Amino acid sequence: MSPLSLALWTPLACLFVLLALPSSQKTAIKLWANISAVLGLLTMLPLITGYDRSNGGFQFVERAEWIPSLGIQYYIGIDGISLLLMVLTAVTAVVATLSSWEAIQDRLKQYYAMLLLLQVGMLGVFASLDFILFYVFWELVLVPMYFLIGVWGGPRKLYAAIKFFLYTLAGSVLMLLGILTLYSQHWTQFGTPTFEIDALLRLTMPFWMQQWVFWALFIGFAIKVPMFPFHTWLPDAHTEAPTAGSVILAAVLLKMGTYGFLRFSLPLLPQASMDRTIVQVVVGLSLIGILYGALVCLMQQDWKRLVAYSSVSHLGFCTLGIFSLNPNGIAGSVIQQLNHGISTGMLFLIVGVVYERRHTREISEYGGLAHRMPLFATVFAFAVLSSAGLPLLNGFVGEFTILQGAFEANRWWAAMAVPGVVIGAAYLLWLYQRTTLGQITNAKNNHLADLSWRELAVFAPFILWAFSIGLYPKPYFEIIERPVARIVERVRPGYYQDRPPSPALAQAPHAAPHTAQGGAR
Amino acid sequence: MLVNFTPPSASEYIRVLPEILLTVGGTILMIAEGLAGERHRRGLAPMALAFLLLALGGAVVAGMDPGPAFNNMLTVDGYATFFRLLVLIVGILSVLISGSYLTRENADSADYYALILFSLCGQSILASANELIMVFIGLEISSIATYVLAGFLRNDKRNNEAAIKYFLLGSFATAFLLYGVGWIYGVTGTTNLQEIHRFLTSSESVYSPLLVSACAAMMFVGFAFKVSAAPFQGWAPDVYQGAPAPVSAFMTAAPKAAAFAVFLRVYSIAFSGLTERWQPILWVSAMATMVIGNFAALRQDNIKRMLAYSSVAHAGYVMVAVVAHSEAGVAAAMFYLASYAFMNLGAFAIVTHYVGKGERYVGIDDMAGYARQQPLIAALFTWFLLSLIGVPLTGGFFGKFYVFKSAIDSNLIWLTVLGLLNSAVAAYYYLRIIVVMYFHEPTNETGAAGPVPAGVRLALIGSAIGVFVLGVMPSAVLEFANRSAMLSR
Amino acid sequence: MPPIPLPTAVPLTYYLILSAILFALGVAGFLFRKSLITVFMSIELMLNAVNLTFVTFSYQHKQVDGHLFTFFVMVVAAAEAAVGLAIILTVFKNRGTLAVDEIDSLKL
Repeated sequence: MSPLSLALWTPLACLFVLLALPSSQKTAIKLWANISAVLGLLTMLPLITGYDRSNGGFQFVERAEWIPSLGIQYYIGIDGISLLLMVLTAVTAVVATLSSWEAIQDRLKQYYAMLLLLQVGMLGVFASLDFILFYVFWELVLVPMYFLIGVWGGPRKLYAAIKFFLYTLAGSVLMLLGILTLYSQHWTQFGTPTFEIDALLRLTMPFWMQQWVFWALFIGFAIKVPMFPFHTWLPDAHTEAPTAGSVILAAVLLKMGTYGFLRFSLPLLPQASMDRTIVQVVVGLSLIGILYGALVCLMQQDWKRLVAYSSVSHLGFCTLGIFSLNPNGIAGSVIQQLNHGISTGMLFLIVGVVYERRHTREISEYGGLAHRMPLFATVFAFAVLSSAGLPLLNGFVGEFTILQGAFEANRWWAAMAVPGVVIGAAYLLWLYQRTTLGQITNAKNNHLADLSWRELAVFAPFILWAFSIGLYPKPYFEIIERPVARIVERVRPGYYQDRPPSPALAQAPHAAPHTAQGGAR
Repeated sequence: MLVNFTPPSASEYIRVLPEILLTVGGTILMIAEGLAGERHRRGLAPMALAFLLLALGGAVVAGMDPGPAFNNMLTVDGYATFFRLLVLIVGILSVLISGSYLTRENADSADYYALILFSLCGQSILASANELIMVFIGLEISSIATYVLAGFLRNDKRNNEAAIKYFLLGSFATAFLLYGVGWIYGVTGTTNLQEIHRFLTSSESVYSPLLVSACAAMMFVGFAFKVSAAPFQGWAPDVYQGAPAPVSAFMTAAPKAAAFAVFLRVYSIAFSGLTERWQPILWVSAMATMVIGNFAALRQDNIKRMLAYSSVAHAGYVMVAVVAHSEAGVAAAMFYLASYAFMNLGAFAIVTHYVGKGERYVGIDDMAGYARQQPLIAALFTWFLLSLIGVPLTGGFFGKFYVFKSAIDSNLIWLTVLGLLNSAVAAYYYLRIIVVMYFHEPTNETGAAGPVPAGVRLALIGSAIGVFVLGVMPSAVLEFANRSAMLSR
Repeated sequence: MPPIPLPTAVPLTYYLILSAILFALGVAGFLFRKSLITVFMSIELMLNAVNLTFVTFSYQHKQVDGHLFTFFVMVVAAAEAAVGLAIILTVFKNRGTLAVDEIDSLKL
């Protein structure tokens, strides 16, 4: 078994062991779930160490027949982009599992089973190189998430769970339509049934058809991201999901949409992705998302909802970067996806911590938490600053590179996105101020316990990671440089010939912290 | 025509082995009950199962030596074998869930099982019919037995109503079908499907295409009734709701599959020359069937009625494959019907048990918190419902996938779009059951029907395995369907 | 088969028109009559119209097939009648009415 298959199926194997445990052994179940998550992380090590950065193609490739008559294969492999997202998934799984130790007391076994199933689905999405295999994992993610929200969620969980399921399903059936069209094109052009990406890349399709397929795929991916008009499921799902669910949703699930753009929409439909109208529409929606999400955040009374809307804004940056269609934009977008996972994951964990203690998410219920919970306040500060894009922390690296890419494509795009950064810093700092600084105004907050060791351990991976990306982002850019170049080359053939070789994108954030600071403050 | 009577050969008898075994089995069952008396009622279901298994073996044996039988009235090809096996498996699963139900309703009797066997016999004939009169006879054998089954609990008003509606509308539709057959016979001078095809496509034949289309339309009325396709789906919800639950399970799977089998055969062989005339009609019908089924199901509170409408909707998906009018479409319909049979029987098996004595708990809300009491059964129900939605790794997904793939291949873009959107809408009402089972708190009456009896358990396991196999390892079935789909060659 | 003298007085078309009228009457009876028994009889009428069609065409094609089909149809119709009347009887026993409109206890 190759390391990739091992990484993909370890959670499933752990799931079977979990199911064999008796439901009454609660501690054993919790322990095993955490061990599984760590095992999942360990299986990433061979991938990280064995990954060859100088190779832009897919690595750890594995292929087996699944349904030969339809040309559906078990075909997996990763490039730098998928590698980063898979590692993010594994880390998030560890964090999410550990964070559920106290929070979840009901139906433990099913809960952890759902988490593990979710993990299989997410890893599979990032590892699949066969479009149907991808679709299978994509839909597989839906079911456990639906149960996580519906069974262990907040007061309006039913509504949120169904909305989440139906929205995503509606998107994915349209995506299926796009997939089937590609398949049928391949059938007419080459006479063989296949869904593998490499083969579909060879298609030559008329522009109008590319357009149709693009929009079909777009709706599927955009709902998942979520982009502006399709985002309405997100605040509900995020707000009602249990903490671990929100963390996973924010950190990984949303990235499935952006990943879909990078892996499928752009390379498979280069002409459509290059088309002026399409780019303008998508970028327009991204910019609206950035500003709208940020403005809505300013008005939120609900802590968790605020964090949820901040995702709309941050993911807007990611799609903006992707559709800048240049190396900086796309690389920045990938890094920003990683960063968003880390920082928003932390913010949701923060909400989870206070929610466990006070069982309310109203911002006005809190205030002055720093007096009682200094550790908490420190961690929260890291999360806020990382999310707001402070230099030396991870958020800055991504946002800056995206803005650079957007500027290169069209300076107005960058100009319109910058206010998003500013408002982003504003609502986060204001949130911090209202909840954590000042005097304790609500007597109920007088006896709150600070973070326990377990809770600190939950935050530790994310904090360390945030710092490492912020201080030394070079390795991350190196990992994705080739794959990104491949995408750009595919969408804009000859892009690299017109420009001086290697703009050294990895150095960009170091070179210009002052410019960005000017923009952000 | 001079009648040259040659006695059928032994291999021709072997080709109708399942029919023979089913008829003999049903008859023996009825005699055995009379001989053994009241005390031995428990043995009836196992006996029926034994006959069904024999017939299943018979179908396999018959399928190993394909060819025509009885003057080309029947033809046993891969297609026929596929549907024979399918309806027989449905029969086995239905008998498994019927035992405890009949005991609970004090209605144990050999007639019930005999009727199931006779009905299956008719469906088996339908699967292999190669001639319009055989189509009629098979349809009637199958239907007459199901009319009685639908009203099996004679003192139950709902049963009465289901039976009378099913009977009247069913016979009405059959009369239309038959009138169409009569005119086809008049125009072409034959009722054999291949010969009709030859006549209609030959350049020497003189006939009015309009008249033939009218015949095809009348036969469509008959078939559409039997498969519950719009605009003739009106009876389905009432009948499936009113009939005893295990009978509804049986009716939504087996007769429907057989009717689709013959529908496809007639339209792919006999009328394949007139495609452009009937295709638009079926297009509208497929679309309307999906929309009506799904949107009506959204508003149901009665779980049987909801599954009834869902059955209409699924007939719509199969209709999409019929409209595609290609070998891929035929194969897709076959695969879809197989996976639908499993997931639907699984769902109905749970409903059969859950409704309790006198079918009291038929509301969706009656299942509140069922997952707390019977986590395993609730999980299985969820599995079937997810398959009905069409979530990957279930049979329902590949069924839909295959159907819509064949539609795209035939350039039916808009029908595909509508179908896909419909399947997203459908998710809502299936999810409702999951919501109620998992997210609501149990009430005093939750699970009042008690533990799940062994027969139902077996049927559940069987259906779950079926859904799993078709969802994860569909290759074998798909390839068999692909190979058998070459009807017109 | 010895040649059968053609009845020149009545053309074949008349039989077909008659059968079409009978069939239409059956359909109308099915749709508009209120009593279960009449509705049921209308169906029988439709089947008999079909029989007439078969016989006519059989005669036209000089084949026995059509005549045979008529027997099939008659046998099946008899079986159907037996089952149908039994069902109608149970309905009458349980409800005391044969009016189509009153059989509506299932939700619409």
